[in-house]
Amino acid sequence: MIAENTQTQMRKGILEYCVLLIISRGEIYASDIIAELKQAKLLVVEGTLYPLLTRLKNNGLLSYNWVESTSGPPRKYYTLTETGKAILKQLDGTWEELAYAINTSRKVTDQESNEPTNQTES
Amino acid sequence: MKKTHNINIGNSIIHIEEDAYEMLTVYLNEVKQHFSKNADDFEIVTDIENRIAEMFTEKLAEQQKQAVSIEDVESVIQQMGSVKDFETSEEATGGEMPGPEYDPIKKLYRDTDQAMVAGVCAGLAHYLDVNVKWVRLFTFITILLFGSGILAYIIFWFMVPKAKTRAEKMEMRGEEANLKGFANSYLQPFAVQSRGFVAEFLQVVGNFLQGSGKVIFKFIAGTIVVFGSIFLLALIVTLAAFLGFWNSDVHSYFPINIVNEEYLFTLTLAIFIILAIPLLALILFSIRVAFNSRPSNKVLSYGLLVIWLAGVVTGIFYVAKISSEFKEGAEFTQVTTLRSYPVYSLNVNRARVFTQEDSLNYRIDASGYKNRKILNDLDNDFNMPRNISFRMEKSLDGKVSMNTNVKSRGKTFETALKNAQNVHYDFLQDHSTLNFSPMLDIPKGDNWRGQQIELVLNIPVGTEVKINNAFDRFLGGYNYWDCKQEKDDEYTIWLMTDSGVKCKFERSKKED
Repeated sequence: MIAENTQTQMRKGILEYCVLLIISRGEIYASDIIAELKQAKLLVVEGTLYPLLTRLKNNGLLSYNWVESTSGPPRKYYTLTETGKAILKQLDGTWEELAYAINTSRKVTDQESNEPTNQTES
Repeated sequence: MKKTHNINIGNSIIHIEEDAYEMLTVYLNEVKQHFSKNADDFEIVTDIENRIAEMFTEKLAEQQKQAVSIEDVESVIQQMGSVKDFETSEEATGGEMPGPEYDPIKKLYRDTDQAMVAGVCAGLAHYLDVNVKWVRLFTFITILLFGSGILAYIIFWFMVPKAKTRAEKMEMRGEEANLKGFANSYLQPFAVQSRGFVAEFLQVVGNFLQGSGKVIFKFIAGTIVVFGSIFLLALIVTLAAFLGFWNSDVHSYFPINIVNEEYLFTLTLAIFIILAIPLLALILFSIRVAFNSRPSNKVLSYGLLVIWLAGVVTGIFYVAKISSEFKEGAEFTQVTTLRSYPVYSLNVNRARVFTQEDSLNYRIDASGYKNRKILNDLDNDFNMPRNISFRMEKSLDGKVSMNTNVKSRGKTFETALKNAQNVHYDFLQDHSTLNFSPMLDIPKGDNWRGQQIELVLNIPVGTEVKINNAFDRFLGGYNYWDCKQEKDDEYTIWLMTDSGVKCKFERSKKED
């Protein structure tokens, strides 16, 4: 249960970052975001994306346009706002730090976990 | 084959099969329930709906079909994620978010699956969360106590809808109308359980009326049309005949001669209207049932109703008027002294006695009818109700006499007396034989007002009376047939004693 909780928290933060990353490439439709996230195996169900998009939009990170569609009703296309871009930059920095932190921690752990095995072998 | 619905979801019109529709409704309700805490939630739900619509459109195009099936809905829900999935992803951000713990809303429906009659008790039992049998027992007791249970039951029957769809059945049982409950109920369809005899019967009757019953109804309606038309035609012919018969003797026969001649036309017309219009309405209605034709127009219906009411009012008016002519009674007695004989014979004389006026009316030529008699029809009781009665009394002074009491009724005592005086009745003494006319005559133009004749023969003690068989019709209080000596005797013999009239040779009962 605790593990699950941590997992979802980790996922949650990374999901937000990834969504911002995907949108930063240019105007994009929600279904396409979902497709990419699925490919990245980050999103399990689509339903979770919509509350996230709405929250980001309300925080001023995103905005959307209604674009006419050839097959059906108009669609929402999302873009990053200036604040969104600024925050994405911050997040890029944060991610670097996190990645460094994780890599360092894992290296140490790996070394430590390898050492005892070596000892037993020798 | 499945029933489909048309839904407008995310501004697209989509055909969807009924079970799929039910499942989707449940899902969307759940989603709406979940996203109902913030102002933005409406937008989220709209986004989700739009996406679902898009997925449906894709699926339909992909599989090249017209309607969304339940499998499509299942896969869309799987892709979109259930509310449970949404909850776990939110827990992380908001920490301990109070889950949407809502009590499943129970609604009152009639449970026709477990119905004894119409499912009212079963539905109430679900709603009140008690065993059905207690509700039924309670209902039964209220029916026994005041009969009020029946009324309440009927009211519930009309007011409470029956649970038709799966979602309604779930609401009725208070099961959570969510996807889980839906899946459960989908896997275990609501079986029709232990239905009562009455409920089965009602359904059978309902099916019958919808199906083959219609044919029978049409057949009955057709028969009514045919026979109703014949009857109506007969009624019209009767009316015509009646109006045409005006100057004939019809008027002096019994049931008609109650009615004053001047009322007869109006009253006949009124009775015709009273009978013919409902008949006509019945025929028109039957035609409608039999041939599915349009309802007859309102002007005609109301017109007929107004005419009928007018007929009823007229009829009542005249009936009241005529009954008022029976209000007062009058009676007078005429005493005729007879020559004394030790034995009298009583006979009915069928020869009709004509007055001079009658002779003129019937154009009877006195010479042509010499030695011929015009006879009254003895057995024709149609003429008038039994109105002649005969009895024998002990003469105190030794003389023989006949009292003729004539009674009648009228609007006033005067008219009643006049009616009584107008009655013409004959009895003739031919030595020891007394001949009586079989009926009394009311002069033409007079109405039947309960005219009656009471004949009292006063004879001294010891006098014998031979009564002819035909005379039996006038004898009210005497046991005529038991007095016969032999079964095929044409007369009986009676004897006046001190204690009254006795049969001379009473057959003992052993002989019978």
